[in-house]
Amino acid sequence: MSFDLNFIGILIGAIMASSVPLILAASGELITERSGVLNLGVEGMMIIGAISGFALMVITDNLFLAVIGSMISGLIISIIFGVLTQSLLTNHVATGLALTIFGIGMSAMIGKNFVGIPGKEFPLLFVNLKENIPFLGPILFGHSVILYFAFLLPFLTNYFLRKTKIGLIIRAVGDSPTSASNQGINVTLVRYSCILYGGAMCGLAGAYLSLIYTPQWIENMTGGRGWIALALVVFATWSPIKVLIGALIFGGITILQLHMQAVGLRIPVQLLSALPYIMTIIVLVVISRDSRKIKLNTPTSLGQIFYKEK
Amino acid sequence: MNTKLRVSEISKIYPGCVANDEISLEFGSGKIYALLGENGAGKSTLVKILSGVVRPDKGEVFLNDKSIKLNSPLDAKKNNIGMVFQHFNLFETLSVFENLSIDSDKKNEELRLSVNNILKKYNFKIDLDIPVLNLSAGQKQKVEIIRCLIRNPKVLIMDEPTSVLTEQETEDLFVSLKQFSDEGILIIYITHKLKEVLSLCDEVAVMRKGKVVSVSETKEEKIETLANKMVGENLSTIKKKINNFKYSEEILKISNLNFRSDDPYETNLINLNFSLKKGECLGIAGISGNGQSELFQILSGEIITEYTSIKFRDKEISKLNPRERREYLMAFSPEDRISQAAVPELKIYENVALNNFKSSNFFEKGLVNEKKIKEHSKKILSNFSVNTDNVEMKSQFLSGGNLQKLIIGRELITSPELLVCFNPTWGLDVGAINYIHETLININEQGKSSILISTDNDELLKLSDRICVIYKGKLSKIMDVNEVTPEKLGILMGGGSID
Repeated sequence: MSFDLNFIGILIGAIMASSVPLILAASGELITERSGVLNLGVEGMMIIGAISGFALMVITDNLFLAVIGSMISGLIISIIFGVLTQSLLTNHVATGLALTIFGIGMSAMIGKNFVGIPGKEFPLLFVNLKENIPFLGPILFGHSVILYFAFLLPFLTNYFLRKTKIGLIIRAVGDSPTSASNQGINVTLVRYSCILYGGAMCGLAGAYLSLIYTPQWIENMTGGRGWIALALVVFATWSPIKVLIGALIFGGITILQLHMQAVGLRIPVQLLSALPYIMTIIVLVVISRDSRKIKLNTPTSLGQIFYKEK
Repeated sequence: MNTKLRVSEISKIYPGCVANDEISLEFGSGKIYALLGENGAGKSTLVKILSGVVRPDKGEVFLNDKSIKLNSPLDAKKNNIGMVFQHFNLFETLSVFENLSIDSDKKNEELRLSVNNILKKYNFKIDLDIPVLNLSAGQKQKVEIIRCLIRNPKVLIMDEPTSVLTEQETEDLFVSLKQFSDEGILIIYITHKLKEVLSLCDEVAVMRKGKVVSVSETKEEKIETLANKMVGENLSTIKKKINNFKYSEEILKISNLNFRSDDPYETNLINLNFSLKKGECLGIAGISGNGQSELFQILSGEIITEYTSIKFRDKEISKLNPRERREYLMAFSPEDRISQAAVPELKIYENVALNNFKSSNFFEKGLVNEKKIKEHSKKILSNFSVNTDNVEMKSQFLSGGNLQKLIIGRELITSPELLVCFNPTWGLDVGAINYIHETLININEQGKSSILISTDNDELLKLSDRICVIYKGKLSKIMDVNEVTPEKLGILMGGGSID
């Protein structure tokens, strides 16, 4: 393989693109979990976002509507989770699993009529710059607006949680819903809002897959990315910046190991395919060793059902 | 500015229990009011109603003769009623300042200024930028108090504030509360500790079974009169007979007990040597955190140390685990009833079975013999006057006193030769304390021995035959109880010397 700077630039650009759905879904789930709600339905909400985005694009022929629609549909199915866990006080884990199963089945049913329809080209920004600047061009330019948003999101999330009042309230609810309630905070409202936000972000992550990354509908096209996003949140110890790092490592090694397979290295394919999972976990565990910080970032009430004394 | 708070005919009924039954009380600023009662008397329900956490079924609250609605904690805040709960309402992972800013409408700089003023005025020393989980219980309580003070409260309610404090912290708290009271804040102080009522409060209302049974000025009351009102019967004063243990045989001999720990939160124990005779009670005093829990765990076999020798009835048992030690007729009642002594989620009879793995015939061929365990548990419940006969009940629904009776009963029903207990009456009400004390005296009279590790000096002086003090992992010399005075104990507990 010749050493070609531009090729490396293109490779990095591809890595960034592949990590976008993980960053979006994980950032959304991070906010949900910070409020103490464990929603294991990420995969289900993503795939619903993917099919509804694609279906809306085919029906309306309008990409903007498709993207907004995917977020709304992710949000709507997260309402199911919200009503069950916050109003009817069901177990978070079981409800989240059910949501994923529901999402996968539902999307397959809706998607029947959309298999094999070609997608529409999604507008990319600064395409000229991408082609004219070597190395940095393919890294920084020629991406969709959603990618830029995704790379900004972890920083926004970090700022939101640390510096704003609403962020503080979300962390407080995740720490101790009972104390928050005794302070006059409406815990149910806060948790509902976080669940809905998480749903919308998962919907957007799904739309990125079906509209931009591989513009078509394939059954089960999220392929476990929702679970990876969930794992990222935990291994990144609820820190948005570490989620970004984890998503890039995962995306990076996924792409690199594909190239290694193509080159024909004498390493078993199975081992190469497992590499992204192993490496992401190792790196995140290593960078999150500080047990004091973990304790401060972990939402103490994660997965606990909250009901108010009357 | 004068504040008057009046509650009128407040009632709150929970399924199977009348928590508040037509409660009417009046409070005025400038005084500290005690609300006294045993656990379950309805004090906490009343203060939850006053702070808007719980809504009453009936009745009204008047502030300065105006009826106020307290439908949520926000309403209480709006009416300048501040509340410090027994279980802190703090966010452990957030910093002190974040905790304070969460329900404040002020800008951050403004808030920091007023918090710093409060810190200075009342001489509180708290770093505002460290997470709450790094604070001591006393400091956490101060954060709660500051949170109330920011809002210039007219009424400040303290729910059992000293249950988690050390003696020094308690003194500091009382100084602050008197200062608040002088500044015109009406203070309602909820407690079941009689001494505190007499030393701190001006007026006292006693509650029993959801009703107010007496309102009086504290200078007209004595410990005994208050205790009797609280329990509703005349408590017998228990007195220990002088034992003739001096002439009886030695049952336990500890030599060369040393313990080193890498955990900075544990205390190292340095060369402890003592022995115990049949029928004797050895009291070990000390301020908590001076090595008591390490000593307890070494005695019970939870920690095994290398060179220590523990001879019990002439057998070397220092390498045995707790279960094996129980088979040699030792028994243990740990400090923390909920997390160490019992599993709160398990039923009563299951908790009884837990420390009887090998003895008796509870288990046959790996199967649980429920019938036998239940019979055995019923016997414990009735012999040790636990206030229920339902062995199927989950242990977490027992009150502290009943749970402690169950735990001690579970240990004593096997007729052990030695009982080691650690703060057996911590957080209990007078009735239960009395019962536990009687039980502990009883076992000595039956010729069994006991080691009482306690932070309550009155209890130690009442129950022990000999007393020593543990300070920074070292034991003082062991003294006969009649040579010991509370003053001597105080000096030794502070690390002083009395020779």
